[in-house]
Amino acid sequence: MDRRQFLRSTAIGSLGFFFAQGFDGLTLSADAAENTDLVVARGAGKSPGAITNAAIEAFGGIRKFVSQGDIVVIKPNIGWDRLPEQAANTNPEVVAALVRLCFEAGAKKVRIFDRSVNDPRRCYKQSGISDAAGSLGAEVIYIDERRFREMSIKGQVLKSWPLYRDVFEADKVINVPIAKHHGLSKLTMAMKNWMGVMGGERGRIHQKIGESLADLGLVIKPTLTVLDAVRILTANGPQGGNLSDVKRMDTVIVGIDEVAIDSFGATLFGMKGSDLSYVKAGAAARMGIMDLEKLKIRKINI
Amino acid sequence: MFTRKRLRIISQVLFLMLFLFLFVQTESKGDDTLGYPVRLFLDFNPLIFITTALATHAREIPAAFFLSLILVLITVFLGRVFCGWICPLGTLNNLAGSLNRRRHDKIRPDLHRAKYYILFMLLASSLFTLQVAGIMDPISLLIRSLSLSIYPLANYGIRGAFDAIYNTEVSGLVAVSEWIYDVLKKSVLSFRQPYFLQAAFIGSIFFAILGLNLIEKRFWCKYLCPLGALLGLLSRYSMIRREVSEGCTSCGICSNVCQGGALSGKAEDWRNSECLACFSCDDICPQNAVSFRLGKNKAASMDLGRRQVVLSLSSGILAVPLIRSTPFTKPDYSEPTLLRPPGALEEKEFLKRCVKCGECMKVCITNGLQPTLIEAGLEGIWSPRLIPRLGYCEYRCTLCGQVCPSGAIRRLHIEEKTRVKIGLAMIDRGRCLPFAHAMPCIVCEEVCPTPRKAIWLEEVSVKNRDGKESKLKQPHVDLNLCIGCGICEAKCPVGDRPAIYVTNIGESRSAVNQLLLN
Repeated sequence: MDRRQFLRSTAIGSLGFFFAQGFDGLTLSADAAENTDLVVARGAGKSPGAITNAAIEAFGGIRKFVSQGDIVVIKPNIGWDRLPEQAANTNPEVVAALVRLCFEAGAKKVRIFDRSVNDPRRCYKQSGISDAAGSLGAEVIYIDERRFREMSIKGQVLKSWPLYRDVFEADKVINVPIAKHHGLSKLTMAMKNWMGVMGGERGRIHQKIGESLADLGLVIKPTLTVLDAVRILTANGPQGGNLSDVKRMDTVIVGIDEVAIDSFGATLFGMKGSDLSYVKAGAAARMGIMDLEKLKIRKINI
Repeated sequence: MFTRKRLRIISQVLFLMLFLFLFVQTESKGDDTLGYPVRLFLDFNPLIFITTALATHAREIPAAFFLSLILVLITVFLGRVFCGWICPLGTLNNLAGSLNRRRHDKIRPDLHRAKYYILFMLLASSLFTLQVAGIMDPISLLIRSLSLSIYPLANYGIRGAFDAIYNTEVSGLVAVSEWIYDVLKKSVLSFRQPYFLQAAFIGSIFFAILGLNLIEKRFWCKYLCPLGALLGLLSRYSMIRREVSEGCTSCGICSNVCQGGALSGKAEDWRNSECLACFSCDDICPQNAVSFRLGKNKAASMDLGRRQVVLSLSSGILAVPLIRSTPFTKPDYSEPTLLRPPGALEEKEFLKRCVKCGECMKVCITNGLQPTLIEAGLEGIWSPRLIPRLGYCEYRCTLCGQVCPSGAIRRLHIEEKTRVKIGLAMIDRGRCLPFAHAMPCIVCEEVCPTPRKAIWLEEVSVKNRDGKESKLKQPHVDLNLCIGCGICEAKCPVGDRPAIYVTNIGESRSAVNQLLLN
């Protein structure tokens, strides 16, 4: 079953169902997982790794997405020279949990990278991601400018753009953004995280951010998206720095549809998906579903 | 018989390797510390210690400088063993000199004095607060040349070669070359290709110094090096004594192999202040007539000439007003683009300490610190200046202050670093997209690193040429919060001449160059 089929069937299957405060826990049947669009796992006081594991499990388990011998790319946000508690980069424990799961599912290699905004050495180190993932055997690699390839996108705004080759050479791609505030796009979550594989003068896409991000969705189709909302940054994003802007949510959201994830993610900040230009553009381009009522969202508490 | 020579060469190689190792380690790996005492050779350097102490009238001397007293003591007892056994530039001169196959160097009996005159000029200048010793100090010169020119050159060449192989896309070949490239990247290559202004100029000076070995081996060490001169003065009463027995036939072979030019006269006429303690004369003597012993020397006359000494001292003094009578020394004048690194002292005090070693530029994580040419006046040549377009100041990085040997850049704690202003950013509304062209762009605000952003956005309604109204956000700089790090300038999408840029007004280190009331 490919991604689109999966989306279509789950979307149809979950019509009319919304927000049952389900506490299915970790014992979901495979069928239940099959019909779920999003899993929202919350575990107040639980470790980010445990919340991540529970969320993936509730979404059908990692083996549904990663197979023996796969080369997996995990793309966190490692854009900023900030510490984990400042919530500017993806939580290192969430990334580490995914690395561990991928290897458990038999992945041959796990590659992790991001085109940082601040100095990459500092971002990788200070975010805690290079240590947390590297010690588990993942390849945490710095962006190599030679590996950007001009890719045809044929979108509304982006006709082509240099994108990082490894994303397209991987067997499986897992998007692991963090949910945080952003001055222009209001919030940055799953869709905007793909700016991290854009080469060239990517700052230019801010001129038409919504359409540009929807265009990226035409060529970048992750196997799985895991939204880190363990800590969310509510102001002065996307890099923050002030701990009073950080809100602890102890939440991890798992799904495939990035539009749906970002639409749900907006609710964590008291917004709606339709407040975000890229979510609207993504829904309009049929990249995914913005209307939460049309999604089957399974909330679990651990 | 040759054990001493072998020992000396081993020592030279080890110290050169230590020097190069520390040099390569002068680079961030993501932590805010380097893990190695990378400026060790500068700490042990009595020339920049003395000139810094003189120029600052002995105020706030970095404690590490007192390590150089160890070298002073060694020299007082054993002579210029530093020059012969340790100095990395001396070793490189040795290596370059091996290309010189001439057996007899022309004797230049008086030229060795030149380095003493240079030293006296530097000492006199520094006593009158002009610190330019770093231009000729061999350690500063070597680190500067390697940092700003030779290492970038080597990186450029090696990277170019591997890129060329990579681009052939011959998979087997690329696999092998990329493996080697990866090993090199993790060991000796820099994290990314460094680029420096004046690289060719600074490199040419360095190659010229090495090239002088073709005229005469160790030309620099014998005739020009001010540190060698200082150590020469200190070694006048050293405890190493050269003795020539009666077996000497005055064949002159020893003076041909003498590395320091200590034997440029007659064989028994030995100048201990020029002796590099290489023991070559002892090793080569066919009569085995030469020996070195510990014991008190009768101090040989330096024979520098009173007039020449007075002349060099006075030219050193004269250089001070000569160089300083420029607008740069006017208190209310400053070159607006001269952004000094965070923690740099007030300009006058900064210049009294900066020895132009280039350590800060080598370590700068974004490659934004660049050598000045005349932007800080002649006395400030090769001192560091931030050019945000080439690299901004990383908000949580304090490395430049950690590697500065002389305290010209203070070591800042991260809390202080993130508050120190090196200048202020201002917006060029004629070029800024939301102001001039009604196009959305918030890149400067996005990258602004202060916890409460110094760049804030105002939502306004604008009209395009068809009169169509739309809302967008225009950036403004909060001058109280801006620290002038320059990331906004570095990342501004108006690539050629950014629509936001930093000048040094408001820099914390200056009492005069201020804008705000408080």
